[in-house]
Amino acid sequence: MESKGRRALAYIAIVLVAVSAALSLSWSMPVKAQAANPPALTGNLEKDVVAIGKWLESHGVTTVKYTVMTGGDPNSVMRLYGLVEAAEDLNDILAKNGVNVKIVVTGEYNPNPGAEYKNFVSKYALGQNGDFFVNSYVYIAPLAEEGRLLNITKWVEVYKSYFSDFYPAIMKAGWYKGQQYGIPQDTEARPLYIRKDVAACMGWNLDDLAKKVEEGKFTWADVFKKAMEAKEKGCADWGLIHRKGSAHPDLIQFIYAFGGKLYDEKTGKLVVDETAIYKWFETEYEFARAGLLPKDMMSWDWATQIHPTVVGESKAKGGTGNTLFFIGGVWHWTEWQTKAYYLDPKTHQKRPLTAKEVEEKFYYTLFPAGEPGDKPVTLSQPFMWMIAANAGKSNPHYNDPAFRKAYQELAFLIVVKASDPLINALHSVMSSHLPVREKAAALLKDPNWVAKLQKLQIPVHPDVLAKIKPIIQKTANQINIQFLANVTYMLNYTHLTPSHPYYPKLAGIFADAIDKVIRGEMTPAQAVNYVVEKVKADPDLSKSTEIVGSIPTGWKLVKTPATTTTTTKTTTTHTTATSTTSGTATTTTTPTSPTATPKAGGKSRAVVIAIIVIVIIIIIAAAYYMARGG
Amino acid sequence: MRIRPRLPASALFLSLALFLVLVFYIVPLLLTLWASFTPIRDWDLHALRSYVGAENYRRLFHLIRFDPDVSTVVKTTIVFVSGTLAVNVIGGFLLALAAFLLEERVSLGFRLLWLLPRMTPVAVFGLLWYYFFYPQGTLNAILEKLGLMSHPVNWGQDYLPWGPWGIIIFVNGLVGVSYGMIIFYSAFKSIPLEIYRAALVDGASLKDLVLHIMLPLTRWHLIFVTVWQLLSLLTTYAHLFVLVEWGVVEKWHGMTWALYVFETAFSQSVSDQALASAAAAILVAVGVGLGLLTLRLMGFERELGAVRGDLG
Repeated sequence: MESKGRRALAYIAIVLVAVSAALSLSWSMPVKAQAANPPALTGNLEKDVVAIGKWLESHGVTTVKYTVMTGGDPNSVMRLYGLVEAAEDLNDILAKNGVNVKIVVTGEYNPNPGAEYKNFVSKYALGQNGDFFVNSYVYIAPLAEEGRLLNITKWVEVYKSYFSDFYPAIMKAGWYKGQQYGIPQDTEARPLYIRKDVAACMGWNLDDLAKKVEEGKFTWADVFKKAMEAKEKGCADWGLIHRKGSAHPDLIQFIYAFGGKLYDEKTGKLVVDETAIYKWFETEYEFARAGLLPKDMMSWDWATQIHPTVVGESKAKGGTGNTLFFIGGVWHWTEWQTKAYYLDPKTHQKRPLTAKEVEEKFYYTLFPAGEPGDKPVTLSQPFMWMIAANAGKSNPHYNDPAFRKAYQELAFLIVVKASDPLINALHSVMSSHLPVREKAAALLKDPNWVAKLQKLQIPVHPDVLAKIKPIIQKTANQINIQFLANVTYMLNYTHLTPSHPYYPKLAGIFADAIDKVIRGEMTPAQAVNYVVEKVKADPDLSKSTEIVGSIPTGWKLVKTPATTTTTTKTTTTHTTATSTTSGTATTTTTPTSPTATPKAGGKSRAVVIAIIVIVIIIIIAAAYYMARGG
Repeated sequence: MRIRPRLPASALFLSLALFLVLVFYIVPLLLTLWASFTPIRDWDLHALRSYVGAENYRRLFHLIRFDPDVSTVVKTTIVFVSGTLAVNVIGGFLLALAAFLLEERVSLGFRLLWLLPRMTPVAVFGLLWYYFFYPQGTLNAILEKLGLMSHPVNWGQDYLPWGPWGIIIFVNGLVGVSYGMIIFYSAFKSIPLEIYRAALVDGASLKDLVLHIMLPLTRWHLIFVTVWQLLSLLTTYAHLFVLVEWGVVEKWHGMTWALYVFETAFSQSVSDQALASAAAAILVAVGVGLGLLTLRLMGFERELGAVRGDLG
């Protein structure tokens, strides 16, 4: 019995060894006949596509598949369909030249582009990532550092004339350590939106405001005063609204607006500028303490709270609440026209605004300077067409370097085609992002092109057109295109956040800190120290970060007369347990502070009473059951 | 001689369980240990080939020492595990007692009611408490209706640290308490009725019954529930994840070590699997240590000692 068992075991072992040996041999052995290299790129798109197509056809490949991973707001789907359309264009060229090769591009579109980055990264090791990755340029640094992006520097050089009209600052965002890894797909500006109806209610004439902001004559102290006025006059429920949680780029503008910086070009290190960060925190602290900015702003919901408040009517009028200022982005302009955020007081139904309504409701300026002497700013995070280092991996003979090169070259040509002025201009109109090249901007200014677009007379393949038609119908109109033309000047004031693999970490710390400041858990000074402490506590981050500047003592956004400061000092000590240092005595001028006192007292009393009630209920219930059972 | 042929048979029966333990526990544990000595980040599997020594552990201890949030995580873990453990064991015991003393018909419903949280999917249960605790939620509405409160408060965010700690202990306690209840209830039922009757005839009060009969006779169950709950509380994070993700509780005061491991490996801006592996390895070590310590303190060996009485 036993010897039989042993023999069986031995057989199994032999089979296992044989199978694994065969598998490892087949993996490690190079493909027998290695193909000759595919033709090199020449800079002529049609010629290159045909040459590579013919090469692939002669090697027996008739279909080339690519996948895309991208995402964003609902109107930015050209990040996916732009590549699909480009592939179709290349297919037309191939067919016209009698080449029997077809390119097929499919992909996924995630409403949260940040989550799509996680997706790309975690699937990369398994080879299940997209061949194209279309996302914010901030991901270039970590991805390039890890060797997951295709270095396209040489090919961009070959196609130099094609890319000549791209805006240089935006094109530069595709670079990391002197090499190019991405081609700009779109860019944006982040205006400060001002509700015209609220301004009218408070008797504020907005004429020339954009100019004043541009000249640095209207600063954040003025924003505060106006917000306060709007609230006091009962014209708005909130003075200022901005975006939530992880979406920090909007708020990073404060650092630049207060003359700070985030990156040292000379040393290549990140910068924590204590002075500018303190001023940013203090500004938002004052807004929140004065009740102009919701204390839990960072955890508001986009669809049910933020946008309804930005576009809505005041609560007094039966609306969802409203605000005077909103730190937003250019893409919101069309998002408000396609998503049902506005609660119509007549029908009590939520609906999208019309383009005319958006125009009537919103005035827009640059992000104002922090203080007199500073400059107004905006911030761009261009999206990039990126090609994965393993692009083409799901096609035949990928392990053969010659084939690999052919697939990579073809992927690059798709990106070249997807950067066409038409596709770029179309994306701009649909999603209200700014074009990345002059030729696309020229199309937007061309009334003939706009007229044709409105009639859907554009050379786009039927499949793609069917997908984007509803968005074009809603967004392609003179008002929106005029808006894009009006905000393009903001790119002259734009800043880019640093291209550094650890920048996302630093940004994450900022997001946590500002949340604590707005909630009142920390004073601005405590929060600056918290940021510094967190940076120092992380060995990686502390090695690649410089800490400069210092907390400016006694700095306030709104300079208040001495008398009011004393009164507010007493009130603030009551309001929050954490507000202990003198930094808290900031809270302004306002009539809301005194009224906050009884409320705060009521709050802690209510908590104590609630706890006592709960404990009593529990004791009674427990006693009842015991007694009954016993 | 009679034992020998039984060995292959027992090996056969054991092999499935051993295989599962090997594949789903030992291998991942070894992989985690391995990863904690490499620089793996953002799922860059090639990094698994390089060795960085104890660098990740050094980083981790540096963070615990200097990063206020990471030290909050440590505190939260200690408070959460001990608080919830107390709720689960003591609460479970009291609930079992109540169920035992109630009429059978009522008791069944009572036990069923307490099992509901365990049967509810994590997301649904999380949502329930999200609606209960968030500023415009049920709790504030009730308190406002009763006139106990002038304006809504954010329980999990405004009252640090006990607001969020209270909520996570409460929610996880509700889920875990039924486990102890079921075990203790069946233990009480298994004590021969004569013993209770004899005690009652001798004039024992409910307190005497609990202290002198039920507690000593269910000692083994008590040990088991304590150790089991301790170990599962150390590693649980599903409910906490939901509560933190939806902002019911402040991020760092709702995050235990287990959730920190998850967040570090998967969710943060830079997915740091190396650091997370080191943190996970420490969690396993602490779990094993605490488990053994509890067994020793509660006299597990004595319980397993030589069988008294006649086996006959």
